[in-house]
Amino acid sequence: MSIYLTFVHFSAAQLVCSASGTIDCERVLGSGYGVIAGTAVPTSAAGLAWFLIAGALALLRNRRAQVAWSVAGLLTVVYLVFVEIVQLGAICIWCTVAHAMVVVIFLLTVTVRDGDA
Amino acid sequence: MSKKKKLSRQQPAKGHHPHRSGPQTPHAKRPMRKPVSRTPAWVAPVSVVGGLAVIVVAFLAIRYMTTPTVPPASRATTAQVISTITSLQASELEQVGEGSATKVLKKTSDQLLTGSDGKPLVFYFGAEYCPYCAAERWPLIIALSRFGTFTGLSTTTSSSTDVYPNTPTFTFHGATYTSSYITFQAVESTDRNGNALQNPSSAQQALVTKYDKADTIPFLDLGNKVVLLTPSYMPDLLAGKTWSDIATALTNPQSSESQAILGSANQLTAAICLLTSNQPSSVCTATIQAIETKL
Repeated sequence: MSIYLTFVHFSAAQLVCSASGTIDCERVLGSGYGVIAGTAVPTSAAGLAWFLIAGALALLRNRRAQVAWSVAGLLTVVYLVFVEIVQLGAICIWCTVAHAMVVVIFLLTVTVRDGDA
Repeated sequence: MSKKKKLSRQQPAKGHHPHRSGPQTPHAKRPMRKPVSRTPAWVAPVSVVGGLAVIVVAFLAIRYMTTPTVPPASRATTAQVISTITSLQASELEQVGEGSATKVLKKTSDQLLTGSDGKPLVFYFGAEYCPYCAAERWPLIIALSRFGTFTGLSTTTSSSTDVYPNTPTFTFHGATYTSSYITFQAVESTDRNGNALQNPSSAQQALVTKYDKADTIPFLDLGNKVVLLTPSYMPDLLAGKTWSDIATALTNPQSSESQAILGSANQLTAAICLLTSNQPSSVCTATIQAIETKL
């Protein structure tokens, strides 16, 4: 999802998403929150970086770092959902799928122990 | 055999919770591991998901209670928006045709209704709180502006607590309309907070009673020849957009706003042309007359 959204941001390609009503990716991604404050870096690129680092931490089996990283991801998702619902009044469905994946990674991190398999 | 069974009951396996009322044996007096009640595995994820659900519901509640109004348009912006939507290129309107607007105009077989000046009367009845009225004012203003001139139009939004909250629109309250072809009367019964604004005259109320039996708004009577009882497009098309956003979108015939609003404006234009015997000809073009035949 993050790769797709980042690609759309830089290529200016047409986003496959509803553009009216509550589900409106264009309104979310085209808002000031679509980029990291003060930069031209799309928020989706930050999401992509988060997933890559989460994957690297999983390979390194550094549990503390994994937990800390997933908590940071979860808090960021809560903030972004706040922005979507309260600030913008619109939901980006692609972003929501990425958010759900962060939540799943968080759950896996805190519930699956090293010995579990 | 029975002795073995008894022993196994007296010496619980390591890690098992001991029977509190079980017989005391020398083994039972030895220091034991503190009983551990392991939390079921599903509790943590369910708690997290439940917590997130509560947070989302809280956000929705905050959004509902503090739905941000569309930033009010300044006087200059209002003038610019009205200028834009009342001077759209005729070629663009022709290009859109009926667009995506729903066919909601209904013909009647009654006598032509005229105003005191003898010109065909167009009567609008709505309210500022009403989101469907908010949506319908856009095409109505565009259509009427092809036959005359508005002054005193101002921007407002529909109610913040009704469906499709804060739909950006205009109000006819305080506006005047002059035309060589038609007379336009508008009644906005309440403001966006539901406070009374205007009452229809007895003649206007008679029209509402006669044609709008379900008592819904917006109600539009075009010379007793054509009536509108339901909106031609849904207000969510305008959700979260500013007047300027919409006006800009209306200059692009491909935009979804143009397809709905200009399509509806063309249908209303066709209905008005029906009243004016296709005058002026610069407005009641072949495209409009083609729509007229489908009313």
